[in-house]
Amino acid sequence: MRSLLRVLALALCSAAAVSAAEKTYTIAVIPKGTTHEFWKSIHAGAVKAEQELAAKGTKVKLFWKGPLREDDRDQQIQVVENFASRKVDGIVLAPLDSRALVAPVASALQAGVPTVVIDSDLESDKQVSFVATDNFKGGQMAGEFLAKQLGGKGSIILLRYQVGSASTEAREAGFLDAVKKVPGLKLISSDQHAGATREMAYQASQNLLNRYGKGVDGIFCPNETATIAMTKALRDIGRAGGKVKLVGFDSGTQSVLDLKNGDVQALVVQDPLKMGYLGVMTVVEHIQGKKVAKRIDTGVSMVTRQNMDQPDMAALLAPPIAKYLKE
Amino acid sequence: MSRLSRLLQSGGPFLGLLLVCGLFALTEERAFIFTGGNLKNILTQTVIVAVGALGMTLIIVGGGIDLSVGSVVAFTGVLGAKLLVAGWSPLATTAALVVTGGAIGLFNGAIVAGFRMMPFIVTLGMMGIVRGSAKWLGGNQTVNAPSDSPVARIMARVDPAGFWPLPPGVWMLLGLAVVMALLLRRTVFGRHVFAVGANETASRYSGVRVGWVKAATYGIAGLLFGFAGLLQMSRLTQGDPTVAVGLELDIIAAVVIGGASLSGGAGSILGSMIGALIMALLRNGTNQLGWQTYSQEIIIGGVIVLAVGLDKWRQGRLARG
Repeated sequence: MRSLLRVLALALCSAAAVSAAEKTYTIAVIPKGTTHEFWKSIHAGAVKAEQELAAKGTKVKLFWKGPLREDDRDQQIQVVENFASRKVDGIVLAPLDSRALVAPVASALQAGVPTVVIDSDLESDKQVSFVATDNFKGGQMAGEFLAKQLGGKGSIILLRYQVGSASTEAREAGFLDAVKKVPGLKLISSDQHAGATREMAYQASQNLLNRYGKGVDGIFCPNETATIAMTKALRDIGRAGGKVKLVGFDSGTQSVLDLKNGDVQALVVQDPLKMGYLGVMTVVEHIQGKKVAKRIDTGVSMVTRQNMDQPDMAALLAPPIAKYLKE
Repeated sequence: MSRLSRLLQSGGPFLGLLLVCGLFALTEERAFIFTGGNLKNILTQTVIVAVGALGMTLIIVGGGIDLSVGSVVAFTGVLGAKLLVAGWSPLATTAALVVTGGAIGLFNGAIVAGFRMMPFIVTLGMMGIVRGSAKWLGGNQTVNAPSDSPVARIMARVDPAGFWPLPPGVWMLLGLAVVMALLLRRTVFGRHVFAVGANETASRYSGVRVGWVKAATYGIAGLLFGFAGLLQMSRLTQGDPTVAVGLELDIIAAVVIGGASLSGGAGSILGSMIGALIMALLRNGTNQLGWQTYSQEIIIGGVIVLAVGLDKWRQGRLARG
């Protein structure tokens, strides 16, 4: 028994000695949840950063930890607090709420732990940087694409997502900004909301098409569920397949299939893998004392039926998660 | 009573706490876990579950159960945020939330006692009613409270590195715990709650007004649940109608780990407080060790079953003498 203890003590001492010799950065990456595909891509990106940094001789240890109950703000606050107490070197956080996570991030900074915010913004100036998609630009691109598809004239519909969702509201604003510059485009509806679930979005789409289905030429949907639901509703009334040009946002199995079949003309897609990657890279650079930009755009791409098989676009539609995550 | 079972009765939760501490002390992360700042962190994270557990202990000792706590916390949180936005003073808001929680509890208790219905079913229904009402009240959205309100400071940690000063919420919890322990141990009402929980029929024959005692336990517990809603709002600086889903299960687990029996008649405030602390410590420690979320869920689930098993075994020994 005593010898066992001795071995244990020795092991602990040597472990301590090793960590003293070469500094390992401990980084906590905290997503909004852990089961969705989107967050797995973020995780893969973080692991990619870890591997690249290790290859360059900078050791990084990642903690990947979502809230115990998905989408529970209080649980995410606890995770942030616990890692701040754990004295990790940095936190990469996708805040579930732009307000509720302000205090924990501020108090982590007070304890000497800097935070890089990814994906969704935080109403605070305490974060090192905000690494995310430029949603306004994504909306603009959608608007410009739709204008080109329609030859600069026609009736268009914007099916909004939900009140109070900052990211999709930015996309909607970007879209409106772009289409207003084209005088031939007539906005016939822009005040309806799809809602959170696919069923609600489907109903909203059906109701809209019941009223405007005959006259509409182009539609923009600012998120995945709305895109899928609108496609389905268009198919129901026989106006899918390009009769009505549809531009969606984000990709999922169903919407990629719709794109391939030609029911969706284009999808604006984000790059979550890059978000996770740049989140970790940015916080490590900050810890190393380098200056980092306050806002880092991870870019959006326009995926169409024509370019969807190109390697770079295919990687966006199906991020190479398995390459980085062994689970 | 043998010495072993007496030790388990009074010290079971304590032993559990020591065991968990001991396990974490074996890891390299002990340098982070056992710091003043982190202990304050754990205490702050315990407060909401613990305040709920104060009320739940009373209910469970009395032989009942309340599944509507999480919903009550969400509802009163949204209500509190709305009242603050409407310009109510922090004190008036607090009073309003506590009274609202109490009213919901009293309603639960009145139905349970008045119609002799299963508390499980009554409060299960109430869980849905109150959760839906919270969403209606908040218009399906979170309601932001003014972040400069004194209410927001109740749960704020001023200096995250040191143990002192503790957030006011921790002191409030300690004060309430003392009051509840006295109520349960030193008053006639408290003895009646134990009696009703242990044997309802016998207490009725001995002249205890069982219905009133039951209704009162749910009402008093409701006051505490309303207060927990205030604390939750303080922590989030907003009223969120979707917060605290499943909180009731954390609270019940804390009470059971603390040595209360779900069949009524046994339990203590101190035990429940330690139970809540064990849950928070487990979560905090496994977070910092970087364990996967699913392993936390498995461990906490295992601890609950272990605690109830221990309780059964203890009762068996007591029965045999």
